[in-house]
Amino acid sequence: MNNIEKYLLELLDSPLQLGALILGMIAFLAIIVFANSYLFYFRLMFLNLRRNIIRTSLTAIASIVLVFVVTLVWTVLWFLNLVTSEKAKDFKAIITEKWQIPSQMPYAYEASLSEGAPGQEGDYKIDKSVDAMTWQFYGATIDPEKKTRDNIIFFFSMEPMKMTKMMDGMEEYSASQLDQLNKLCEEMVKDKRKIIVGTERLQAINKKVGERIKLTSFNYKGIDLEVEIIGSFPEGRYNQSAILNRDYLNDSLDDYNRKNPNSKHPMSNRNLNLVWIRVPDKDVFQKVERQITDSPSFTSPAVKVETASSGISTFLDAYRDLLWGLRWILAPFILATMALIIAVAISISVRERRKEIAVMKVIGFTPIQILFLVLGEAVMVGGFSGLVSSIATTMVINNVFGGIKFPIAFFPIFMIPIDAIWWGPAIGISTALGGSLLPSLSACRVKVSEVFARTS
Amino acid sequence: MSENIVVRVENLTKSFSRGSEKIDVLEELTLEVESGEFLALMGPSGSGKTTLLNIIAGLDTPTSGTVTVGKNLISKMSESMLASWRTRHVGFVFQFYHLLPVLTAYENVELPLLLLPMTRAQRKVQVMNVLDLVGLSGRINHIPGQLSGGQQQRVGIARAIVTDPELIVADEPTGDLDSKSADEILDLMGVLQKTLGKTIIMVTHDPRSAARAQRVLQLEKGKLVKDSRNFSYVTGNAGN
Repeated sequence: MNNIEKYLLELLDSPLQLGALILGMIAFLAIIVFANSYLFYFRLMFLNLRRNIIRTSLTAIASIVLVFVVTLVWTVLWFLNLVTSEKAKDFKAIITEKWQIPSQMPYAYEASLSEGAPGQEGDYKIDKSVDAMTWQFYGATIDPEKKTRDNIIFFFSMEPMKMTKMMDGMEEYSASQLDQLNKLCEEMVKDKRKIIVGTERLQAINKKVGERIKLTSFNYKGIDLEVEIIGSFPEGRYNQSAILNRDYLNDSLDDYNRKNPNSKHPMSNRNLNLVWIRVPDKDVFQKVERQITDSPSFTSPAVKVETASSGISTFLDAYRDLLWGLRWILAPFILATMALIIAVAISISVRERRKEIAVMKVIGFTPIQILFLVLGEAVMVGGFSGLVSSIATTMVINNVFGGIKFPIAFFPIFMIPIDAIWWGPAIGISTALGGSLLPSLSACRVKVSEVFARTS
Repeated sequence: MSENIVVRVENLTKSFSRGSEKIDVLEELTLEVESGEFLALMGPSGSGKTTLLNIIAGLDTPTSGTVTVGKNLISKMSESMLASWRTRHVGFVFQFYHLLPVLTAYENVELPLLLLPMTRAQRKVQVMNVLDLVGLSGRINHIPGQLSGGQQQRVGIARAIVTDPELIVADEPTGDLDSKSADEILDLMGVLQKTLGKTIIMVTHDPRSAARAQRVLQLEKGKLVKDSRNFSYVTGNAGN
């Protein structure tokens, strides 16, 4: 299934989006009918805009730039909104240590937590082979003598085959990319020393696929691993990430403890950071949450169960002010600036054409027709600029730059969604309407006798 | 109203306020114009000629009194009604042509027809007819900047008559033209009146232009003071 098919299916799932799509199609048909009947009006609007090409171009360029910035800002907000929105079905939950950040639970919790801690008959049991995933964070450097930001790698240590089934963002990849990832995961299962590293991280450590490296850990001191890079993630969210087979980490930890029976590794009972589970609906989630929190097995340390969106929201709390500023100050400020730019351009244009507007009134054009003519010119500039900007922004940012690099929490990069294609025209048209309303009203209120009294 | 009267102005007054001062531009003016008449309105600057013309054409509203054109009491119409009425019943010719500079001669003439329920083919026939009448069928794709003053005014006249209105009002139509072009325009207006039976009201300062009219009305300080066809016709307060 390609991205367009996926998008269409998503549309069908959402009544709101489906309604918007139908309305959009009706509007499109209306425009075609309108254009056919009143082609002259469109031509007149176009010619009026063309009479001062420099002014129109500058207005359009300003709109394109501002739509570009708004698209970037909205992409970040849209994505964070998406991941923090509660889903009704098939959603993920995160189980972490209750009283400590970062969460560090004993690995002994893994078996039961991955199944939802069923203890009694009638309890819900999660199928851990498909609906559970554990994360153990393993940080290491390839140059222990001189640890820098560029030579460290941060691993999600996990079961490789859970990656494409459980990790967020996999739906952004194409079928062939997922196939390729699954093949890499199978290799990781066969040989636990094999790893996958994101493209940007590979560049940062100056290594290539196929190379073997030695990892010196800084959070699992003494647990140093030798690994082989067998592949990288497709461009996107996991550019900076890396995956390690959890068996390799756990076996190495066991080895360490066997060799040092009198001084177990300090991470021995703290080596499980997160457990992800997938539940079919809210009722099951609540039931599993009760099973886990009521269980006497998880009291030291105590654990908590949150929906993934709630868990991510907690992570994003640190960025709350920044996000609030983006949403309520930067974006509205840019939209207001766009409206003002269009207002100024249209005001000057109307002022220059007062006599022509008066002549049109003499001929028989009604005030409302004049109003729509002027509004139409603004909408033409705003809508066109918005469309050009959103298409160019989406293509260039996603395909050339590989997304917006704006690391927030554990989201290093944001891909512009396909929805952004209509954000541009919507922003352009709405700011054009807002900005040109006063100039249009002034145009339709032109008094013919006053204009010609001045002329004569 | 007599069948033959196209424009009837009764006790028309138009006043403006400037601060606390009230200025009467037209005072208790009464006037009738017959169908097919070519009337010239003359008078010094500020005598109220253009104001009278604007009120008769439905571009301005009187302070008091009534104006009836055809069977329509236009002095009581709303702005939107007046706009619709003007499209069908009045053609306006300006001193400075006032063509839309971005449109071709053809499109400028077509403009009023866009407000009427006509197909593109019907519009084309009508536009080509009037452009032919004014002698510009060979210049349909020229924009105003590519036409001489006389040609632009002929386009202006074509635009005024394209909807086949019964009344044509012209505000100094030859005021911006050389004498040769002015003569051509006046000839054309004569053709409109004599051949097509249009009623024409023309404001002018130029006695030569006024001499082409059947009837000349003289305004002074908002009052009708002279009617060259029949001096005893003067009503209102003039000469009282």
